[in-house]
Amino acid sequence: MSTSRDESRNWLSLVLHDVHFWVPVAVLIGGLLVLRWIS
Amino acid sequence: MSALAEKELRNASADVGLDDRRLRRLQTVGILCGLTAGAWLGAAETPTKLVTLGLSPVVISLAMVVGVFLARWSLPALIQGTSYIAADLRQAPHLIVWAVLAGCLWAVANTLTIFAVRDVGLSIAFPLWNSNSLLGIFWGILFFNELRGADWRRWVGVLGGALLMFVGATALAIASSAQAPSADALRGVVAALTAGVLWGTMYIPYRKAYLTGMSPLSFITFFTVGELGMMATLAVVYSGGVTPLLHQLSGARHVLFWLLLGGFVWVVGDLFQQYAVKYAGITRGIPLSNTNQLWGLLWAVLVFGELSGATSGVYTQVIGGSLVMALGAGVIAFSSVSRREHVRWEEAAAREGARYGVDPAYTRARGEGRDPTPTSHRRTWVDWLVVSGATATLVGFAAVAKAPELAIRWQWAAVLSIVTLGALVGCGAALWRTTRFS
Repeated sequence: MSTSRDESRNWLSLVLHDVHFWVPVAVLIGGLLVLRWIS
Repeated sequence: MSALAEKELRNASADVGLDDRRLRRLQTVGILCGLTAGAWLGAAETPTKLVTLGLSPVVISLAMVVGVFLARWSLPALIQGTSYIAADLRQAPHLIVWAVLAGCLWAVANTLTIFAVRDVGLSIAFPLWNSNSLLGIFWGILFFNELRGADWRRWVGVLGGALLMFVGATALAIASSAQAPSADALRGVVAALTAGVLWGTMYIPYRKAYLTGMSPLSFITFFTVGELGMMATLAVVYSGGVTPLLHQLSGARHVLFWLLLGGFVWVVGDLFQQYAVKYAGITRGIPLSNTNQLWGLLWAVLVFGELSGATSGVYTQVIGGSLVMALGAGVIAFSSVSRREHVRWEEAAAREGARYGVDPAYTRARGEGRDPTPTSHRRTWVDWLVVSGATATLVGFAAVAKAPELAIRWQWAAVLSIVTLGALVGCGAALWRTTRFS
């Protein structure tokens, strides 16, 4: 059980340390701001 | 590159079992998927015409996303079964995060396109958000080694073809701009361009998943969780709460079926687009699927009678713009991936696999369109429950639907529907024979 939780934490940590992840996140935040301005 | 180095690269690929013939077949299937995606994505844009009936953009987008959700769960359950999807996720669980993120990007982009259609019209908004392919090509080159190792003809073919498509799309927009509503042009243009940036960036998670080896059928199942979650949140926030949203949905119940159907059709196109990205890469797959603008134009002109009464000059511009777009798509289709470039893709795939600890045999086999452990995945009661639930929901909304009050030329709608279905059957059969939908 704890191994499974450790593995989940491990791949989540890998995702958060992947620079490819933060590009779409930044674009998503920008898109939400534009949507707020438009609507 | 020297002949010796090229031979070494060839041997490196031959070692993993992907011969030249197989590579060509995968490329051809990827290109066919891109073109079929264009036909289906173009047809799916027609429900946005309902925005002229006074429905809120957020309600339209939410209803389409509900249709998308139904399709994204029922089609994979029907085609491969949920046990296949579960097996895929066990190999690369981290891709759930990427799929949900891509779904969020899609939902925000789709909402922006509806604001854009409202403010500047479909004919201007369409080419602006289709600029996503140029950004997609940029991300493909920067992050995933696409076009690396390709000769100058392929660089010129892909970049030149994408630019030709953009020029053609712009010509189409100018030609039909006289008919566009102009409630707030600046907001509409910004909305369309931002949607293009969101969609262009959404191809990062797509490519990430497919280089790792995940099947598009598995990816979209979790993609839609982000899509529906984000869209539901936006709809509640922009409608002023749950009760006002439900009130708006109730008021629109007679046209909700058409929006759900639009979402369903969109998923079929998107599924082919995902396979195009997997087997032809972002740089080829996305520009080809952006031929949806040509199909959208065919639906608009032939079925909805847009441009009727226009001058011969406008028709000349429309035909000219369409031909330039088609030429651009043709140039890209013939700029297939060379052995040298494919080796660079494999390097990017190996990097992804190593980073996240994915079994290299799984990544390699899926990249070649094969199943690493060819076991049969039988349908279970869960699959039939999902398919029955989705069908019952669509039938329920169809029962209370009324035909929207739009002038429609049904004979042209029938012709385009038959052509679109023919593309589905032909491309689906080729995809099944080559990859078993892997």
